[in-house]
Amino acid sequence: MIIPQTRNIGLPMMNLMRFKGLPILQQLQIEEQLLRTSSENWCIINDGTNDPTIVMGVSGKPAELLEIESVLRDQVPVIRRFTGGGTVIVDNGTIFVTFICNKEAVPDLQPYPRPIMSWSSTLYSKVFQGIGDFNLRENDYVFGNHKFGGNAQSITKNKWIHHTSFLWDFDVRNMAYLKLPKRAPAYRSARGHLDFICRLKDYMPRSIFIDKTVEAAGTQFSLRSLKSEAIETCSKTEFCPSTRFLTNEELEAAAVAGQ
Amino acid sequence: MIGRRLLQKRVWNSGRRWLFPSSLLSPVPAEYCKRHFSTHVLAAFSSPGDNPVNLKIPYTENKCKFFSSIAVAHLSTNGIVDVPLAQTGEGIAECELLKWFVHEGDEIDEFQPLCEVQSDKATIEITSRYKGRVAQVLHVPGSIVKVGETLLKMAVEENRIPLVVLGNLENEKHCDTKLNKDCTGGVLSTPAVRNLAKEHGINIDEVQGSGKDSRVLKEDVLKYAAQKSIIEDPSFTATADLGELFHGETSSSQVSAEVSGHYEDTIVPLRGFQRTMVKTMSMAAKVPHFHYVEEIDCDALAELKASFQTNNSEPGIKFTFLPILIKSLSLALSKYPVVNSCFNEESVEVILRGSHNIGIAMATPCGLVVPNIKNVQSLSILEITKELSRLQQLALDNKLSPDDISGGTITLSNIGAIGGKFGAPIVNLPEVAIIAMGRIQKLPRVADDGDIYSASIMTVNIGADHRVLDGATVARFCNEWKRFIEKPELLMLHMK
Repeated sequence: MIIPQTRNIGLPMMNLMRFKGLPILQQLQIEEQLLRTSSENWCIINDGTNDPTIVMGVSGKPAELLEIESVLRDQVPVIRRFTGGGTVIVDNGTIFVTFICNKEAVPDLQPYPRPIMSWSSTLYSKVFQGIGDFNLRENDYVFGNHKFGGNAQSITKNKWIHHTSFLWDFDVRNMAYLKLPKRAPAYRSARGHLDFICRLKDYMPRSIFIDKTVEAAGTQFSLRSLKSEAIETCSKTEFCPSTRFLTNEELEAAAVAGQ
Repeated sequence: MIGRRLLQKRVWNSGRRWLFPSSLLSPVPAEYCKRHFSTHVLAAFSSPGDNPVNLKIPYTENKCKFFSSIAVAHLSTNGIVDVPLAQTGEGIAECELLKWFVHEGDEIDEFQPLCEVQSDKATIEITSRYKGRVAQVLHVPGSIVKVGETLLKMAVEENRIPLVVLGNLENEKHCDTKLNKDCTGGVLSTPAVRNLAKEHGINIDEVQGSGKDSRVLKEDVLKYAAQKSIIEDPSFTATADLGELFHGETSSSQVSAEVSGHYEDTIVPLRGFQRTMVKTMSMAAKVPHFHYVEEIDCDALAELKASFQTNNSEPGIKFTFLPILIKSLSLALSKYPVVNSCFNEESVEVILRGSHNIGIAMATPCGLVVPNIKNVQSLSILEITKELSRLQQLALDNKLSPDDISGGTITLSNIGAIGGKFGAPIVNLPEVAIIAMGRIQKLPRVADDGDIYSASIMTVNIGADHRVLDGATVARFCNEWKRFIEKPELLMLHMK
């Protein structure tokens, strides 16, 4: 995507990395490493992950959030990520978009959860202009009152990360692994998963969504595409991410403790 | 136009006495800032492209700043400071503590991460405001901590409380974060609110803050005072709430009222300095002001400052923009002495002051003060730098003398340090002009050949007494000052 040079003056640099089918654990570990060790701004897009995986927030309690018996029976991998927020089950129908920014990268943006959330919604408003009834409801991206994108953040001393999983498509059966969460946004109004969420594919083609997201990011940052080899060099350093799989033993112990 | 008579060698002090009473160390409350941010004056001046003044306290701003407010910890006698949960932003009432990065007994640096908390969707690193030692950790991972509740206690040496340098102009696009962190001791609040707490004999650290970042608002202090039966029958004043001016939005105070469930009115009698300010502002409001706005390209200024710093042979001297701006101002005043004058209403006389005593607004622990540098016309930039530093240090220590703060002939205000593109300042009577300088911002400019380039632009707003000065005079004066700033080599042409 060619952006006229004059428009780039004064825009902060941002490295853009695009993946397709990258395992979600690897994506999250890369993000965690970039947040903690890189001084640059990053945009990471993963167009679908490979296997269906459950991803919980940093303090998620498996017994409260998952149907552990089904999860163990079907050997669904469970990851605890480094950002806050809720639980999702992701697969190749999920599109991930992540922004990792220095605190000064976005002018006049205060590095707190709500301002960052609002900023992200203005970016995506450009993507979804004229399409559906796009909004940020509490912390979710919705069309009308149906959620299609979930957000999570982590804010450190000098940087912040805001990442989103978009439900371009999902398998209804996978939702059965997730319990109705105790902490839910008010607008959910106790709706079950299938009444609460919707599919982005009903609103926009996949590649168009990704292209428009890159275009929207390009209005605020000077994007520089990086090849994925660049990130492999990165992952050879000493950094040890906290994002990891939960073991079967941990899940079993959680199931027992939760009874 | 008003007819003028020159009356030289007449000491003009009486007009200033009400600002600085004989008990020198009384603070000038932040209501003084109203002379800079008065909304009714702003309304009187409008031009295309006017931007509303953004009056956010820069506790979280990471932009170029002109000066930051001073951090003073409210220590108990044994030097232990309560560190509350803050840095979470508006709308977050409580967080889950996820993990500690420090242990009891650890030595901590300022801005070192202390712990990680989680609220809803975000994990947030909480950093230390102080350099010190962890005395006591009050919560375990997994516990829910309310915003404003004490997270841990730290032992801090009084002389190690981070004190941010006053009155420095830094044209770095990304300022050192040290200058921009919230650095008040214990709780966040404005100087006016601290003053109010002091007046009521309240320890502000004991007050639960309901504002942004657990900031203690005026309402919090008054409610606390009511609870402690210090004030009977509290009710809010109907006058413009300074807290609103400083916090920029009224929603935060409304939300705080809802959160705390208190809806009673509170009466706040204005005493002492605040009372004097009512009179001062009323007098100043009678002065017919006009405002002149100009943009100044500060690229050359930045280069000059960098050159001073690189070739600095004297240790302990920090070069900033302000001394260069002050000296340029003085040279411009030499050409337009009427801008450096005082107006005597009773005798309808203008006194063209021989000395250029340039006042610099500074925020101190006790509020806003305006010490002035005497005889700038006879000082070199290096001498001005040293004198500025001396005054800043005295202001920090609250040891300015009556001589330091009287006799000013013109005032410079660094409104850009707090925020905003430019202010609409009100003259500091009996002076006839005041200059508010906004933030230096990188903006696109169009060159003669049509190319776009970026330049560091500072917007200044000169508030002037229209009984003495007319638009043309101020415009020419400002052009002269601008010339010296944009082409500092011209300063050499006029050096004696």
